[in-house]
Amino acid sequence: MRNKLVGGIGAGLLLLVVLTAVFAPVLAPFDPSAVSAAPLLPPGGGHLLGTNDIGQDIFSELLHGARSSLLVGGLSAAISLTLALAVGMLSGWFAGTWLDRLLMKLTAFFLTLPFIPAVIVLAAFSGAGTAGMAVILGVLSWPETARVLRAQTIQIRARDYLQSIRAMGAGDWYILTRHVLRELLPLVLYQAVLRVKSGILMESSMSFLGLGTPLVKSWGSMIFYAQSRNALITGAWVWWVIPPGLCICLVCLALMMISYSLEGGGEEGSA
Amino acid sequence: MKKRALHYLILVALVVVVNFFIPRLLPGSPIGTLVGENAQDMTAAEKMGVLDAYHLNDPLPLQFAYYLRDLFTLNWGVSFSRRLPITQLISSAAGWTLLFTCVSLVLYTLIGTLLGALSALRRRRGRDLPLVLGTTLAGSIPPFWIALLLLAVFGAQLGWLPTYGAYSMWQDYHGLARALDVCRHLALPVLAMVVTSVLRYFTTARYSVLSTMCADYVRMARLRGVPQGRVTLFYVLRNALIPVFTMVMMDVGYLLSGSVLIEAVFSYPGLGTLMANAVSARDYPLIQYSFLLSSLLTIAALFLADLLYRRVDPAMEVDHA
Repeated sequence: MRNKLVGGIGAGLLLLVVLTAVFAPVLAPFDPSAVSAAPLLPPGGGHLLGTNDIGQDIFSELLHGARSSLLVGGLSAAISLTLALAVGMLSGWFAGTWLDRLLMKLTAFFLTLPFIPAVIVLAAFSGAGTAGMAVILGVLSWPETARVLRAQTIQIRARDYLQSIRAMGAGDWYILTRHVLRELLPLVLYQAVLRVKSGILMESSMSFLGLGTPLVKSWGSMIFYAQSRNALITGAWVWWVIPPGLCICLVCLALMMISYSLEGGGEEGSA
Repeated sequence: MKKRALHYLILVALVVVVNFFIPRLLPGSPIGTLVGENAQDMTAAEKMGVLDAYHLNDPLPLQFAYYLRDLFTLNWGVSFSRRLPITQLISSAAGWTLLFTCVSLVLYTLIGTLLGALSALRRRRGRDLPLVLGTTLAGSIPPFWIALLLLAVFGAQLGWLPTYGAYSMWQDYHGLARALDVCRHLALPVLAMVVTSVLRYFTTARYSVLSTMCADYVRMARLRGVPQGRVTLFYVLRNALIPVFTMVMMDVGYLLSGSVLIEAVFSYPGLGTLMANAVSARDYPLIQYSFLLSSLLTIAALFLADLLYRRVDPAMEVDHA
């Protein structure tokens, strides 16, 4: 019961953010890239959250910023899961063979790369934009999930009904796509939520460092500009740095609540 | 043991190869990445000169040979934004990063484990909710954001702690005064790191203590009349801490990654700040070799952890690669 409630609240919050991102052009009172008032106005008047250093409405920036955060988070999670599923299922199904050993060496290698420095070096050299950033994050973040899926596949492989289907002559590809994938689904869903969360955190971190496309509004790049214009010393951080950060927290919290309920409460029945 | 050493050697070789190919496979002109904005004022002949100096006109296998030679002789090139040899910049940064990450690791492991164990022991009385809620909230905060807020509140507004660097540059402290000065500079970055990392240890410790609490041997000990305090301390906690220890070992690999953004916020003079500054200066060689050193340090740390782990838990499954 408590699980469903937590998951429901999380899903509701997430839906809210997705809707604001989709309808940002309708909802935003101002064009986020147009100068609409004097610079650095504190909240109040026509500007709910004040304005930034060049007079853009921060509330409108926030609504539009949701788009690139969710887009990169979702896209990178999709890429990461696809790779993890391919590697995890093949490696688990053919556990003990040369293919398994090769794939696991590859996984171990990707796991040793320090994640953020690796993202920085790839993003800097390739000059990646929004989509490029999603690809880089996806390609670097699959190994952990792949290991989890491999372990689960090995357990599934031993199930009786799969043994009998195999004995009846079902091919590997058939079993993997029709049966193993279906059994993996709950775990994949759970991992997907975690991946989206880390994708959103990483996107904001990278745009905070000034990587990606600085002209696209995102929560991270808002904080990047605020910091480079010394908002922390002038006091403007109260309405310029706090709101985008809170938005990131909100989305991450919503995703964690969903993952909590998917996990079945984690420790229910263990004590 | 030899097999494990070989495994890590292969990882090192792979990192070295990847580092060679990163600038060569990704789009962008090599002139731009080697000399930065100076490229605009150069003549065609000067550009050829640069390419020759870096052996970029040679065939790829020969380039790789030169790359290996330079790598081993620590001739890693010059950072064009700082006008210093890259090895010199990186080696002075690595020390600060190690100090920062080690202090953080020790603190958040201890605090997270303690809170996790505490919340598990309190579970029956329903008093664990604030702890669970608090750590979950802390786990969804972006590290660089909490770092900025700490800096703004405790550094800029209240002026309690320094906001910049790893030591006071304009003072000449010695001995104890210098140690205190370094600690004061560490306080805010470490706090940011601890707040955002505590959740993982909290969850692991809590789960592990909860499942140990209902193990048969613990129940048996209670029935035998072993005092409650003794059961908790020696029967539950002692065994529940093994998964936590495993987690510390695995975490060693993530340390150099998590510190980058927090260092950058506080301009802490470690590898993270070096990389962040190199990104804004578009100093590609410096970015590339900071990445190389982070990777090598990570592999070294994992190797050490691996060795240590065998000592602590000989029953541990050996093949986890």
